[in-house]
Parts: sequence; structure tokens; C-alpha cells
Amino acid sequence: MTSMLKPILLVEDNPHDLELTLIALSKSQLANQVVICRDGAEALDYLLHRGDYADRNAGNPAVVLLDLKLPKVDGLEVLKTVRETPSLRSMPVVMLTSSKEEQDLVRSYELGVNAYVVKPVDFTEFVRAIADLGIFWAVLNEPPPGSLRYIKPT
Amino acid sequence: MSSPDAPHDAGTIDLTSCDREPIRFPGSIQPHGFLLTLTPSLAILQASDNLHAWTGTAAGDALGQPLFDFIGSTAAASLGPELAAGTVGPRPFYLGTVTLANGKHFDVSGHACDALVIVEFEAVQRSRTADFRHLYPLLGDFLLKVNDASSIDALAQLAARHTRAVTGYGRVMIYQFDPDGHGHVLAEARDAAYHSYLGQRFPASDVPRQARELYTLSRIRVIQDANYTPARLVPELNPLTGAANDLSFASLRSVSPVHLQYMRNMGTLASMSVSLMVKGKLWGLISCHNADPAPVGFEERAACEQLGQILALCIGAREDAQELQFRLDVRRVMVSMLGALTQSQNFIDNLSHVFPELLQFARADGVAIVVDDQVMAFGDTPEPDQIRELVGWLQTRAQDEVFHSSALSTLYPGGAAITRNASGVLSMPISKIHKHYLVWFRPEQVYSIDWAGNPHEKDTQASLTGTLSPRTSFAAWRETIHGHSRPWHDAEIELAFEFRSALLGIALERAEQMAELAEELGRANKELEAFSYSVSHDLRAPLRHIVGFSDLLLESNGSEDATRRQRFLKNIKDSARLAGKLVDDLLSFSQMGRASLRPATVDMRDLVRACMQKLLPDLGTRRVEWEIGQLPDVTADPAFLYQALYNLLSNAVKFTGQKDVAVIRIYAEQNETEAVFHIADNGAGFSMDYVHKLFGVFQRLHRMEDFEGTGIGLANVRRIIERHHGRVWADAVTGQGATFSFTIPNHFEELPQ
Repeated sequence: MTSMLKPILLVEDNPHDLELTLIALSKSQLANQVVICRDGAEALDYLLHRGDYADRNAGNPAVVLLDLKLPKVDGLEVLKTVRETPSLRSMPVVMLTSSKEEQDLVRSYELGVNAYVVKPVDFTEFVRAIADLGIFWAVLNEPPPGSLRYIKPT
Repeated sequence: MSSPDAPHDAGTIDLTSCDREPIRFPGSIQPHGFLLTLTPSLAILQASDNLHAWTGTAAGDALGQPLFDFIGSTAAASLGPELAAGTVGPRPFYLGTVTLANGKHFDVSGHACDALVIVEFEAVQRSRTADFRHLYPLLGDFLLKVNDASSIDALAQLAARHTRAVTGYGRVMIYQFDPDGHGHVLAEARDAAYHSYLGQRFPASDVPRQARELYTLSRIRVIQDANYTPARLVPELNPLTGAANDLSFASLRSVSPVHLQYMRNMGTLASMSVSLMVKGKLWGLISCHNADPAPVGFEERAACEQLGQILALCIGAREDAQELQFRLDVRRVMVSMLGALTQSQNFIDNLSHVFPELLQFARADGVAIVVDDQVMAFGDTPEPDQIRELVGWLQTRAQDEVFHSSALSTLYPGGAAITRNASGVLSMPISKIHKHYLVWFRPEQVYSIDWAGNPHEKDTQASLTGTLSPRTSFAAWRETIHGHSRPWHDAEIELAFEFRSALLGIALERAEQMAELAEELGRANKELEAFSYSVSHDLRAPLRHIVGFSDLLLESNGSEDATRRQRFLKNIKDSARLAGKLVDDLLSFSQMGRASLRPATVDMRDLVRACMQKLLPDLGTRRVEWEIGQLPDVTADPAFLYQALYNLLSNAVKFTGQKDVAVIRIYAEQNETEAVFHIADNGAGFSMDYVHKLFGVFQRLHRMEDFEGTGIGLANVRRIIERHHGRVWADAVTGQGATFSFTIPNHFEELPQ
């Protein structure tokens, strides 16, 4: 793990989904640290340096993997706050969800989501999707100005 | 029969000019008496030029003389008190009977007009005041019998006989003006030598418009000899106004030479008309004819005027009663129809179920309901295409109005093709938005009118001769009328209006019900949407987990460590169980919405005890203190309420799981409208920031591994309480506990599903 690498923020309440996503992330061999939040309120605390996260290191995650249905504050609300907060606005957010309900999709894109991933039932596919996402957003994507670019160690 | 007030001007042949003739200002009088106009100080201002014939003094010589000097002291003595008292009003007033110096006797009447006093002297044979004694029994007899008369025709017959007895005229007719102004002879009393006009009609043109107006002002007029030579006023114009005198109320007023010719043509040299005024309108006339000149004395005229007034009053009362009865009947039909109309949902369908009543309501032979391009017809109606076409035409006419015609073809170009069953049409739009019409049809009623002389010949004759030419033929002439139906009664049209508003009212009520239903459906739909949304999210998750962990197990093919494998297997098992529970909970949730409530009196303490009994076995070694207060009975569905209470109590147990000693309090209060129950715990609580999500389906405020559950429990509670018309809410402080409250109304009423 390189200190230059910004972490990936994973917001997931369901313990099984969490476990599966972590397995998938580890399989994609991303070097980024993964920060885990278990509901939308905690995610906002992390992003806004509040509550338990008031003293965390400065800087935004490389990407937020955000479950849509979350206790207390749901994914769409988190996304909305992110897009309304100047310091967070340019941060990539990927919505992870169980279903492709059109209303969620439309609403997510309205709120400026960067990608929207329906969790596939087939696990191999899930691993591939997570890996692709991680690489794209944490590695390949041109980071917003002011953030550092990951250079894959040779 | 004609008005005595046709035009003077022989040069005109346009008979409508009768309507413009100033008949109230003839400038002359009939010569069976003389007329003087007086200044307020009773000096003679004008005199009729027959003054010399009656008094020996030329009209010109009388001018300027004080009246009392002119008539002599004896006459002055009998008239003086009345005239001097200034009691002369706008209507002729009998002043007395006088005998002038030449020994001639006169009935004298006076009235005020144009700031003048008009005094009329009518020659009579007697020297004393008119004797009414022989007239009283006649009037008394009439008054007695009018109450027995069964119909307006019978009343009229009675009046005709009595009028004839009073006047001694050869023929007395009572006739009524129809809506077109034609006079219809209802009753007649005549000498055998006289021709009968009973049942015949006199065309409206026989009585010009302003003659009718004068009839409504002045109720009686007599022409005692159609061969008279008028006596002109000297000077011709009223010196005070410079205009011709208004002689509307003068009994001697001269009439049009046209009318005199009309009388001669008809073979009657004397005539009298009494106006029949019913509710302020000229309803008809009592018209009297005599072949030879025949005076009608002041007292007889007074008696006839009274007869006319009594007859008119009786007619008015009779018409009112008939009208009232008719309206009552029609309204009764309407009310029964409206009753039937509110019975089922589809209001147009309902209308078609009361077709026979609809016919009865409008006394029609056919009826059609037109809903856009659909035509539902009943009875004798034109073809659907013809009805559609008619409605298309009706639409171009004033919106919102009830349309009616008893001669459709005179208004509607397509009417000629459907005269047989649609000569009469009454129709109304029955929707404010859509092309929905209710149309009634009345068939053609070919009928004939017996005219007293061909009414259509009058114009022709006039234009041919170019001279004074009232009609000469009074021979019965039968006209056959086509394209007409029985006319629509005023009451029918008014009640149709009323019916229409009632229909629109029903439609409006329906619309409101529909809107309510739509709202209800919208609510249900929204709930269903939330439901399916939740299913697609929450039910997929455990399935995905099962597949995911199974894939992992298959992939590693037993290469991983045993604990990890064990956990994956446990995860699979948990997920499968959760999926099963989700399905169960969803089912019960949807049942909560569908099953109907069976209310009963519920002892809430029993209900709490039942819940506790089910919860206790799962508590194991946990310490839970229950505090149960006074709980009122409520009226509710016991099974449903048990479900709600159980959910709340099991939540309280669940969220106090991390406390050493759990305290769960159940208490209540009751007010006039409802009982309020509270379930308070000292458990995990929640942040009030998220309280709005608490009762949603699959909403969780806690992590799954902290407090298990499907997220349906509170949604169920809300659904059950709201179906009982109650409310549910919660208060909490994170880490300190939560209080859930709900109300049950004192009076049970199920929310419609």
C-alpha cells in the first residue's frame, strides 16, 4: 500500500454484500486502502470529517462505491450531499445496487453519478465488475485537478 | 272579432302599419255623447264638435266658459261636489246623471289626463242615477256558479251567458290568445239568428300590437253604432301641450274606420270588448256583437267589467292549480328517475335504464341519449345517424341551454326529413365537458285550424285594392298544419332545466367519487410500487449472496481454510433463511392491506399478555422489567391489533438486547375521540433525523448484524393502525430508548380499501 494512493470508500450495510465486495476488490489486486462505512450517515461523517471521522487525514477518496439502500441516509441522499458540497463535488461516485429499477437509475444520473452498477447475481461477473470499476476510477481515470495520479509500480 | 283600434290612414296598405298607428290619440269621439276638456279651474278648453247637436251651443262658443255656467245651475249642483273635490283620477269616474236646460239626460263621467279634466256626457233615456239593482242578482249568480265550473271552458261558457244577459247583445264570445297571438273562441252565447264562431280562430293580425297594449290599460270599450260619424275635438290639439289628446280611457273614444268597416263586413253594428287580464297579461277578451246598433249603459258596462275581472281571477286560479298539479306530476317522475340514476356507477347506463320514465317525464314518444358518437334511442325516434346530425346542429347553438321546438323543421334544415317522429324536440347537454346530450322527440301532430275567414287573404286583398280594406270574409276556413308537434309546456322546459342541473349534480358527485377513487388507487399504487421496489432490492440480495458464497466455495474447491468455508456456508444458510422470512413478511404485509377488519371489543391488557407470552421463551437469561399501566378497551380487529402490538413489543425487546436490564413500559390515555397507547423502552433508540423513514417498508435504521429483521415490522404496524383510522408515531433518543405511540378511535370505522 502506497501512501500516495488515495483510499476507496465502500459504503455497504449488508454484511454479506460487504464481504463479497471486499473479496472482489482483493481479487482485482488494487493497492488502494478500502475504507468501510456501514450506512449513509457514517459515510457523510467520513466525507465531511465529522463525528468519529473529525480527525482523519485530509483528502477525498479516489472513488466512492456507494450502495443505494442504506440505513438512516440512503445512497441517493449521500450522492446529493456530495454533489452539493464544493470540496466533494468532483469526487467520482459509483452507485452499487441490487436492481436496475429505472427510477433509481434516472435519479442517480440526475444527481450526477459517475457510474451505476447493478450487482450481478453471478459472483465471477461481480468480481469482474468491481475490478473494472476500481481500475477505471482509481487508476485510469484522470483525477480531478489537485489530486495525485496513481502510477502503477513497475 | 277585431280591434276597434285599427288605423285611420286609408292610404296605407301595409297592415303592419296598424302596429304603428297612434290609436290612443284619434282626435275625435263617437257621437252618442259629447266630450269637454277642462282646465284645472274647470273652464272649458276643448269641446267635441257635436256639442251643438246635444246642447244647441256650437263648440267654438262654449270654449272659455266655466263648466258650471255652461251646464246650468241644476246640473252644476249635482256635479259640482265631485268635480270641486278634485277627486277625479286617471280612470273614468261616474260623477252623476244630469239633465241639461234642453231636457236631455246624460250620464257624466270624468277623468284626469294630460293635466286636463276630461268630462264625458253620454246621452241616456232616464233622468236619474243608474240603477244597479237588477244587475246585482246577475253578478251574484255568476259568483255562485264559478266555483262549480269544472274547467276554464265551463267558466268561460258561464261568463258568456251572463255577459249576454247583462248587455242583451246577440252574440258573446270568450276567446283566448294563443302564444302566437291568434284568438281561439272557447265559449259562446248567442241568439239563434247569429252565426257561431265557437272553436274557431281569429288571426293575430286582427288585433294589432298597440291595440293589445290599449286593451291591457283600458279594460272595456264599446262601439254602439259602427255607422257613426266621428265628432272631432275643437280645437283639435290640446292647447296646453300642443299635441293630440290622449283619449285612452275615454269611453267615447273614436275608433279606426278600418275597424268600423271590419264590423260592417262581419255584419255587426255594435260591439263591446272586455279585457281578460290574467297575472298582468292580456289572456283573452270577452267580445260581444250585435247586428243592430245597441247602447251599453254605464251600469251595464260596470257589471261586464266586473264579470270580466271575476272570470280572469278564476282563470288565473284555475291555471295556477293546473300548472301546480302538472308540475307536481312531472316532478314526481323526475324524483323517481333521479333515485334510479344514483343507483349504479355508470350514470349514462343508469339513464338508459329509466327510458320509460324519461318518456313519461317529457310526455314524449321518443328519447335518445347521445354519448359522443354513440346513440342510445328508445321509443319512436329518428335513425341514429339523423340523431347524430341533429345533435351536431344543436351543438352549434348556444351552449348550456335547454333547446326546445315544436316545429323543428322551421329552425333546423335537416328537420324536414324527420318531421314524422321529431317535429318536436326538447334537448339538453348533460355534460359540461363532453358531447353528451339527452334528446326527447314528439311526433308530428297534423291538425287543422278553423279560421273565422282565411287569415292569409287579408294582405293580398289590401295590396290589390290599395284602399281601406279589412277582411270581408268571416266564413269558416280550415287550415291544415304540418310539421308541428304538441307544444312544449313551460313547466316541462323549466323542469328539464332542473333535471339537467340534477343530472350534472350527479355527474359531478360521480366525478368526485372517481377522483377520490383515483386518489385511493394512486395511494395503493404507490404502496405497491414501494413494495415491488423493495422486493426487487431486498429479495435479490440474499439470493445474490447465496450464489456469491457458493461460487466462492466452488471456485476454491476446498482449498481454503475450514473456518472460512464454515462462514461461507453459514452465510448461505442465513441468506436462505432471510429470503424465506422476507417472503413470509411480504405476504403478511400484503394481507394486512387486503383482509377486511372484523371489529370487536378488545381488552388491551389481555392482548399485551398474549404478546408477552409469545415473546418470553426467546428472552432466555435476559432481564426485562415490564411496566403495564391502565389500558382502556378499544373497538378494533383483535387479530390485526395483536399483530401490531406484537411487532412493537418485539421491537422493544429486540432493541433493548444490549441493556443489562431492559425496561419496557406500556401505558395509555383516553380522550373524547380516541385511546392513545405508548410502548416505551430504554434500548438503542434512533436518531430523530431519520424518524420519517421509520415506518417505510424495508427501511432500517440499524445494521443488519446489530438487530436482525426484514424491515417490515413497523410498516405493518402503520398499516394496521391506519386502517383503523388511527395514527402512529415515535420518539427516541439515540442510545437511551424509544417510545412508539398509536391511537385507536373510540368509534370504529374502517378506512376504505
